[in-house]
Amino acid sequence: MRALLVIIALGFALAILVSIPAGVVANQQAASRITSTLGNTITQTEQALNQTLNQITCSLAPSFGGFGFTGSGSSGSRPSGGFGGSGSGGYGGYGGFGGFGGGSVAGEFGAGAFGGGRANPMNETLYSNINTSISGVAAVEPILQVSEGKNETVSFYGHSFTRLVPQYIIEGVPLTSNLVDNYPILPTDIVSGQNLQAGQTGDILLSQNNSAYFGVGVGGTVNILGTNFNVVGIYQPTGVEDTEMLYMNLSDAQTLTNNTGYITSINVYAQSPSDVSSVASAIGSLHPELTVSTAQNELSALEKNQPSSNNAVTAAQDSLASTNSTAIEEIIVVVAATSLIVLFVMLYTVRERTKEIGTLKAIGFSNSTVMSQFMLEGVLLSAIAGVVGIAIGVVAAPRLASLLLPTVGRAVGFGGAPGFGLASTVTVSPELILIGFGVAILLGTLGSLYPAWRAAKIKPAEAMRYE
Amino acid sequence: MNRPVLQLEKLGKTYTLGKRTVPALSNLNLTVTAGEFVAIMGPSGSGKTTLLNMIGCIDKPTSGQILIDGVDVTDLPENQLYKIRRDKMGFIFQTFNLLPYLNARENVELPMEGRIKSKTERTERASKLLALVGLSGREEHRPQRLSAGEQQRVAIARALANDPAIILADEPTGNLDSQNKQGIIKLLANLNAMQGTTVIMVTHDGEAAHHAERMMLLRDGKIIREKPGTHALKKNV
Repeated sequence: MRALLVIIALGFALAILVSIPAGVVANQQAASRITSTLGNTITQTEQALNQTLNQITCSLAPSFGGFGFTGSGSSGSRPSGGFGGSGSGGYGGYGGFGGFGGGSVAGEFGAGAFGGGRANPMNETLYSNINTSISGVAAVEPILQVSEGKNETVSFYGHSFTRLVPQYIIEGVPLTSNLVDNYPILPTDIVSGQNLQAGQTGDILLSQNNSAYFGVGVGGTVNILGTNFNVVGIYQPTGVEDTEMLYMNLSDAQTLTNNTGYITSINVYAQSPSDVSSVASAIGSLHPELTVSTAQNELSALEKNQPSSNNAVTAAQDSLASTNSTAIEEIIVVVAATSLIVLFVMLYTVRERTKEIGTLKAIGFSNSTVMSQFMLEGVLLSAIAGVVGIAIGVVAAPRLASLLLPTVGRAVGFGGAPGFGLASTVTVSPELILIGFGVAILLGTLGSLYPAWRAAKIKPAEAMRYE
Repeated sequence: MNRPVLQLEKLGKTYTLGKRTVPALSNLNLTVTAGEFVAIMGPSGSGKTTLLNMIGCIDKPTSGQILIDGVDVTDLPENQLYKIRRDKMGFIFQTFNLLPYLNARENVELPMEGRIKSKTERTERASKLLALVGLSGREEHRPQRLSAGEQQRVAIARALANDPAIILADEPTGNLDSQNKQGIIKLLANLNAMQGTTVIMVTHDGEAAHHAERMMLLRDGKIIREKPGTHALKKNV
């Protein structure tokens, strides 16, 4: 009975002992994941923006377009929306709140356009003069972007708003041969099938997330708002594209969403990077209602954001360091506690069995035999406890680790985001099981050493005691 | 005359209690020859247990000499004394002192572990000894399933395990009812008579002591009187 209690107590101690290193490993992985994710996002976005330095984005200031903070969950990283709110327009300034995206870095790039509701539709014909009356313009790409998903009510400073949680985003782009061949209007990283071609209609390019969401692959058919489309290809988002965005011909998108003649933004391509600022200001004076942003603006905004990303990386590393030191402290405490449990239990056992030990010595057992007998008993006890502890550890390590250790994810606000949750990634590896068992035996040996020595020193005359 | 298995020469033992020294044994001489059955009697505090501890090599005298089977054990270190206890002595305790988690046969095998390598040999010998003390068929019983008398028989079999020169019995009938007392004393007397086992028994029980060949009365650490017991008289007849 006592042995059972001891085994359970030791078992828990050893379970903790196994869980802590497992937690540390998981934290290290989480930290490196955060670091590499942030690193990739920044680099990829920079690369993409550098490729599109000729690009100018024009849209009507969306009424609540700035509520990028609500876009947190979408893990969107399309820069255009998030900074869309930074221009003129009453509420546009809220774009800066993108950084509140649930503490998620994704939110910093969180897109106003699809994060905070639908962008205001623009009558396509009103803006046809951009191409004809402004010099330095190489091409114009009218875009219709419509989010489809569920509505959800959120409150912010005492006001409640309905926002759309996008499941997918329709991106209608004009598939003219000039734009398709010469300008970055479509994703570049096609992982299966092929990209959209000039003049195609009824065809669609899906992101990997779309493909998983609709459960359809290349060559299949997907029904979007009641119309069937052929899936020609699947792309991997590179950082500029939103992970939920699907591409189709502009005219298809307009018909599908009852937006014939309407668009949500215009990408204007200047003839050279040096023309960008003059073209942008010309558009601004021709159409003062438009919010005009350039890739150059976005790049500098991105660069402004770099420090906060760097901070997140630093925070992750700091948190990892504190996790490590906490882990070391806890391991010391648990090791000490475990050895003490063994020590006291064995001392108690020796005391209780004084007469038996005296008898053994009187009938001719040597000191060393008695000592090794008790050592064996202690080690056996710890070995059984080790097995129990490892079994508990394998099952309970995620919970124990998150109880015992500060986690990297929490420190930088990734806690809630899927994939960054620590719990699911804490696993007790086979190496750790072996080490845990070894430690159990070692602690059993250490803890039994003194009690066994005490046992060996018991005088055989103790056998004569009457009880 | 048989060879002496125990010689005590001018044996003395004092205990220190705080600043006082208390003499337990003083200037005690005793020779026991092989095959004798000796009973040592005396009131509490007369030094009986101290004497038994000296003979059993579980305590050391302050002065004098102890020879067991001709070997001077007075100054032997513990790492040799345990062998003397194992090979030359068989202990019988008042409270039997069997290991509760071992069965009768395993208890008897215990002292053989350091001497007899073969497990089957130990088992065979233990079974034979249990038969000798009248416990055939009880080999697999644990102590709690045996009566007090049976437990003491197991203890006697254990004392015989290594064919000792001397059996030391400390109040062997102290925890037994009168019927079992008789049985145990007769068993010891028979072993002594049939097998020639030397028995030295410390007891309060005058009746038990009368079965011995020699009775000794101890008082204040000295043997004050010695007389032959009934067992000796029978032997002479």
